[in-house]
Amino acid sequence: MKEVSYKKLKGSQNLRQRLLLSTLSSTPILIEDIRADATWPGLLSHEVSFLRLLETVSDDCHLEINETGTKLKYKPGIVMGGRYLEHDCGLSRSIGYFLEPLIVLCLFGKKPLSIKLKGITNDSKDPSVDTFRSTTLPLLKRFGVPSDGLELKIESRGVAPKGGGEVTLSVPIIHNSLKAVTWTDEGMVKRIRGISFSTRVSVQFENTMIHAARGIFNRLLPDVHIFTDHKAGAQAGNSPGYGISLVAETTSGCFISVDTTISYPRGNDDMDIDEKKELMPPGEVGEEIASLLLGEIEQGGVIDSTHQGLLFLLCALCPQDVSKVRVGKLVPYGIQTLRNIKDFLGVNFVIKPEPATGTVMLKCTGSGLTNLSRKLS
Amino acid sequence: MERSQKSHRSRQSGPSARKKSDTDKKKRDITEEKKQNPKAFAFNSTVKAKRLQSRASEKEQRRLHIPTVDRTTGEPAPYVILVHGPPQVGKSLLIKSLIKHYTKHNISEVKGPITIVSGKQRRLQFVECPNDINGMIDAAKFADLALLLIDGSYGFEMETFEFLNIMQVHGFPKVMGVLTHLDEFKDVKKLKKTKQRLKHRFWTEIYDGAKLFYLSGLIHGKYVKREIHNLARFISVMKFHPLSWRTSHPYVLVDRFEDVTPPDKIFTNKKCDRNVTVYGYLRGCNMKKGTKVHIAGVGDYNVAGLTGLADPCPLPSVAKKKGLRDKEKLFYAPMSGVGDLLYDKYAVYVNINDHLVQYSKVGDDDTSRKGTEKDVGVDLVKSLHNTKYTVDEKLNKSSINLFSQKSYNLKETTDSDDEDHVKPDNFIEPMEELDNVGSDDESDDSEESGSPKSKDNKRTRGENKVEEEREFHEGRIRRKAVFGSESGDQEASEEEEETENDNSNSESSSSDEEEEDEEEEEHDIEENLGNASKWKESLLERTKSRKTTNLMQLVDEKKKSSKGLGGDEVNGDGSSKFTNYASTKDWKEGEIIESIRDRFVTGDWSKAAQRAKAAETENENDDADVFGEFEDLETGEKHEGDKTGDSNKDIDSAVEERRLKKLALRAKFDAQFNGSESPDEDDDKNHKGKDKGQANEVSFIEKLKEEAELQRQRNIAELDDLDEITRLDIEGYRTGTYLRLEIHNVPYEMVEHFDPFHPILVGGIGLTEDNVGYMQTRFKRHRWHKKVLKNKDPIIVSIGWRRYQTLPVYAIEDVNGRHRMLKYTPEHMHCLAVFWGPLAPPNTGVVAVQNLSNNQSSFRITATAVVLEFNHAAKIVKKIKLVGEPCKIYKKTALIKKMFTSDLEVARFEGASIRTVSGIRGQVKKAGKIELGNKPKKKGGQPEEGIARCTFEDKILMSDIVFLRAWTQVDVPCFYNPLTTALQPRGETWRGVRTVGELRRNLNLPIPDNKDSHYKPIERPLKKFNPIVVPKSLQASLPFRSKPKLAKSKKDGRAVVPEPHERDVHKLVQHLQLIRHNKAKQQKLKKQEQKKKHDVQKAKEEVVTKKRQREERRDRYRTQDKLQKKMRRE
Repeated sequence: MKEVSYKKLKGSQNLRQRLLLSTLSSTPILIEDIRADATWPGLLSHEVSFLRLLETVSDDCHLEINETGTKLKYKPGIVMGGRYLEHDCGLSRSIGYFLEPLIVLCLFGKKPLSIKLKGITNDSKDPSVDTFRSTTLPLLKRFGVPSDGLELKIESRGVAPKGGGEVTLSVPIIHNSLKAVTWTDEGMVKRIRGISFSTRVSVQFENTMIHAARGIFNRLLPDVHIFTDHKAGAQAGNSPGYGISLVAETTSGCFISVDTTISYPRGNDDMDIDEKKELMPPGEVGEEIASLLLGEIEQGGVIDSTHQGLLFLLCALCPQDVSKVRVGKLVPYGIQTLRNIKDFLGVNFVIKPEPATGTVMLKCTGSGLTNLSRKLS
Repeated sequence: MERSQKSHRSRQSGPSARKKSDTDKKKRDITEEKKQNPKAFAFNSTVKAKRLQSRASEKEQRRLHIPTVDRTTGEPAPYVILVHGPPQVGKSLLIKSLIKHYTKHNISEVKGPITIVSGKQRRLQFVECPNDINGMIDAAKFADLALLLIDGSYGFEMETFEFLNIMQVHGFPKVMGVLTHLDEFKDVKKLKKTKQRLKHRFWTEIYDGAKLFYLSGLIHGKYVKREIHNLARFISVMKFHPLSWRTSHPYVLVDRFEDVTPPDKIFTNKKCDRNVTVYGYLRGCNMKKGTKVHIAGVGDYNVAGLTGLADPCPLPSVAKKKGLRDKEKLFYAPMSGVGDLLYDKYAVYVNINDHLVQYSKVGDDDTSRKGTEKDVGVDLVKSLHNTKYTVDEKLNKSSINLFSQKSYNLKETTDSDDEDHVKPDNFIEPMEELDNVGSDDESDDSEESGSPKSKDNKRTRGENKVEEEREFHEGRIRRKAVFGSESGDQEASEEEEETENDNSNSESSSSDEEEEDEEEEEHDIEENLGNASKWKESLLERTKSRKTTNLMQLVDEKKKSSKGLGGDEVNGDGSSKFTNYASTKDWKEGEIIESIRDRFVTGDWSKAAQRAKAAETENENDDADVFGEFEDLETGEKHEGDKTGDSNKDIDSAVEERRLKKLALRAKFDAQFNGSESPDEDDDKNHKGKDKGQANEVSFIEKLKEEAELQRQRNIAELDDLDEITRLDIEGYRTGTYLRLEIHNVPYEMVEHFDPFHPILVGGIGLTEDNVGYMQTRFKRHRWHKKVLKNKDPIIVSIGWRRYQTLPVYAIEDVNGRHRMLKYTPEHMHCLAVFWGPLAPPNTGVVAVQNLSNNQSSFRITATAVVLEFNHAAKIVKKIKLVGEPCKIYKKTALIKKMFTSDLEVARFEGASIRTVSGIRGQVKKAGKIELGNKPKKKGGQPEEGIARCTFEDKILMSDIVFLRAWTQVDVPCFYNPLTTALQPRGETWRGVRTVGELRRNLNLPIPDNKDSHYKPIERPLKKFNPIVVPKSLQASLPFRSKPKLAKSKKDGRAVVPEPHERDVHKLVQHLQLIRHNKAKQQKLKKQEQKKKHDVQKAKEEVVTKKRQREERRDRYRTQDKLQKKMRRE
């Protein structure tokens, strides 16, 4: 009846975000040259897994991948949401990789979502599930997402390489649209919270990390609490590892977070444990993560650099009001997000650096996206 | 001689006295009037009081609306006054009269929209509604106020009601009725009666108290001046509420239409696809570049070019004076050909009437007739006067600011030749390619640096893109850069952009090392701007402004970075996590810790506050630098002399702050005022009382209102901060802008059959609205439509901007949530209608029609609906009964044949419950195996497929019919047919898919007649069962109780012969009984007779009594009356 005109894109970068924006703006996309020259051409297993996840939560989306996986045709459907869904995220990327787009997407769904995701909960590459709970969910609330039904439950933890973690994510739907924010006051850090975990290793690892981190914070702030979460048995997943996630809360209600995880690298199962290279000792991990957090705090901005992309995306999805946010230095991911937003939603940002504070002020009018798939009661 | 003046005697009676006493009472707050029977309204029932209260609160709630953020800024677009009515009712005449009233111009014909300036703050656009239903539907979508003209001498016509229904569905704009042809009544009383009748009918349709105007008749072929004046006043005070569909979609009512296809293309192929431009005010919401549009009656198109033009009919400049000057009473109607000036993107056309052209020729040729020549000249000048004024007006408008600015520049800065980068702030830059903003900035920047080379560059760059308009002004030639680019050379310019930006790019390519980058840039700029001292600005601040553009460019330069730096480099795996290990410092050191001490609550709060403040002032300064050009315009502040500038700036910001606050307050007050102004004025007092009672709700609404207002003020403040180009970039064209839209490849029929009497509506399409899918709507047949609607019969629906024909499937939701198909729409009830078509967001109104032709008398609106949701799959089911018969029966198991056609089908229905006609229930088990009786008829043949093994609760018979009740999915036809009414002569009726009934009628086909579907009297032959025969052997083993016995019948045939004595006794008894019966009968008869008599007697007496009582009463009343009269006289 009506031939579909695909938006043509190239390359493997930002696949996740492109798919997300394509679904939100319901623009069919055609991506070519996905790692055409690489040794392992085409889509990687986590990307395929993400596509499967999209199929799970949405209805009637069309996916076509060519034989080598270097060409992807995607026609978005309607985001359905739904309860008791399940998805295995695989072991090549952690659950954080899947959570990021999923929480934005399912806000604009037909029904509230609750999904069980299996795989690696903590990873050094992607934001960990702890950071999601502590920082990302409050960020969504700022944009007018109802807080009841917005939840992330960690059933069990799993780290690389063998995973075995499990989380349950529930996302409510928004009934009309998000709310524009003016969020420029970063405030002063009033408390630091955190959570450390260890799976299949001694709880002593956690205590060492916490001790080291506190050693740095103590000179700045007395209100530091880092909780331990030692998992054992079935809840500990299949691989040993430990990690920590810290979040600094400011007087104006901003959350700045960092996290890290130490575990054995993937892909060398054949080697003996002795042959594996030494992992970073917990003391150093604690110090490093604390200094990273201080680095983030020093940058200013209402959000840490990891969440910049999400923040920009939410701003762009607002109704046609002006949103104004302050961030620290723009990170590459944030910049790519801005580009993608411009491509798909046609939203331009006014970016103004403030040399006095070393921060960047961003302004935009939202695209006016409303939740069209919801049912009129 | 002095004479004492007679003191004023105030009126003691008459209207003026009454008025005075009324006002006096009001002053003293006495509202109680003398009531007839105060007791009747006293409080006497708590239940009633409660009910009243709840009703009142419900009414109150219904009055409330959720406040929406008003996102319009600047001057609103002219309000569309749509004049609608059946043919020959006086629509054009009304428009002509109104235009005459407003502008003192006579127009001969009303073609297309006519824009006029009606007041200092208000412009109006008059449109005549076409008479066909398509035109009406489109018109209802853009009207702000509909004047419904009604022929008073005839009464209401169907068109009016149809139009009202269409409007109700597409958001109800304001409506005012106008009764015309009232001079045909000769009898005053009849006129009055008719008015009353029509008014009340009108009220039932809209609301009680809806305004209905009366135009009493014609004088010299025009309506009475006074009445038109009144009507104009009503229009001028009309308030327009935002309608949700329109505030979320941009739309343009086209008031100028041009075909811009290259002529040679048309010459070679007359029927080639055309390129057209349409012009009109942007309404609804802001329109961004790249928005898709729907042209009503044509289809969806991408906008090839979008340009903001100078307003052809601007509001008068704000000056303190009362009313409009005659010169400001502009009007603009390009389709009618009366607005003399046409502004295109880069040209101004002056229309001169033919006869004027001839005059000038006469003047030129006939030099001999001097007298006449002079006269002609004078005429010419006079005739040109009007038009010239408008030009002047334009120039003034555009250059007053320019001029003042320029003079400042001339006085205070010696910089003389930078006209190019001075942008008038109230001018929308006619820029085609917003993508090139960055590059433009670049070029501007380089020009600022004053190097002649870059200027040349710009000129060469703009070969065919930039045109210059030379104007002789203030003793020197001014050139305004006007961008006349066609989208064709977009690519070229893009390439140029790339080459141009190469430098900065290579610098900024390594985005992860921004710090170094910035430093590098700083150096660069220092070098570049070595001779930029003209600006006398500190280098630091220059770099700041420079950095802004760079950051924006960094984001803009998508292609570059993804190629050069390879997006994968840093984040090849697309991770959002960013940990800056490189720049981690040793946080154990005291100094470093101290450096961020103030970011913690343990640090110095005042310092932190200062930091924030510093950031703000920095910000302000930044503003001043980046956008200095026009900020200065307002304050008249110097470019040089930073300090004074700064202080000014501070004061300015304070002033600005105060202004904002004031604005917000004022807006809030306005909102409140509007809110308390209820539609029925007399209610006002009550509301105040209620407000107290329901403080909660009201305060909640108030809070929402306040929030919306705050958001609005914030938007305005933030957007006003930006310069014009950036603003255009981030928010799109603002509402109220006069837009030129270029659309490519429209069918030639659109141009061919273009008719100015049918206004074109161009509506913007939202993000998902160009996709197609199934839509579920809550649907109700209109109660005036004569027939019920049949499933899958085509209807024409109007949703959003679109109109299309589609095949709906009707359904109803069962209690368990199942959507069951309906063959026909139910009566007086909503049902669901699911159809395929371009999607519209939930809550959009839908109006459906079946017949488009004009020459039918019945009501054309078929149904109304509202979109509930859309989906890619429609789940509608209908009942299905599979019927089979047993082919082999075991004990309680049977093999059923003819129910399924294949074993696969059986597998699908495993476990399904089945039933026989006699009521024995059962279940499908599995496909029957071959050995179980399903033997091939002939050996070697295939076993029969589709035989199911089923079990029942009892043994069934071979004569039983077994059936399976199930639900089957109904497919909604994937069909929609856009109404292309603009691509055919407007008089023609559009023809789409015909209904089955129409097809049969036209093709003369009989209605198919299935004999099995006939209703016949059911004949059930009585089933004869054979008597049960119990075998002897069985009988023997049965217990006695169950053994069949030789039952003797009670009646044996023998007669009974009584004895003679017995016979006598029996006889006697019979006689006695007879006597008794007779007696009783007689008594009864007697009683009846007596009762009759008594009744007659009673009736007689009653009549007499009544008469007497009446007499008595009459006497009593008479005396009472006399007494009263007497008392009154006394």
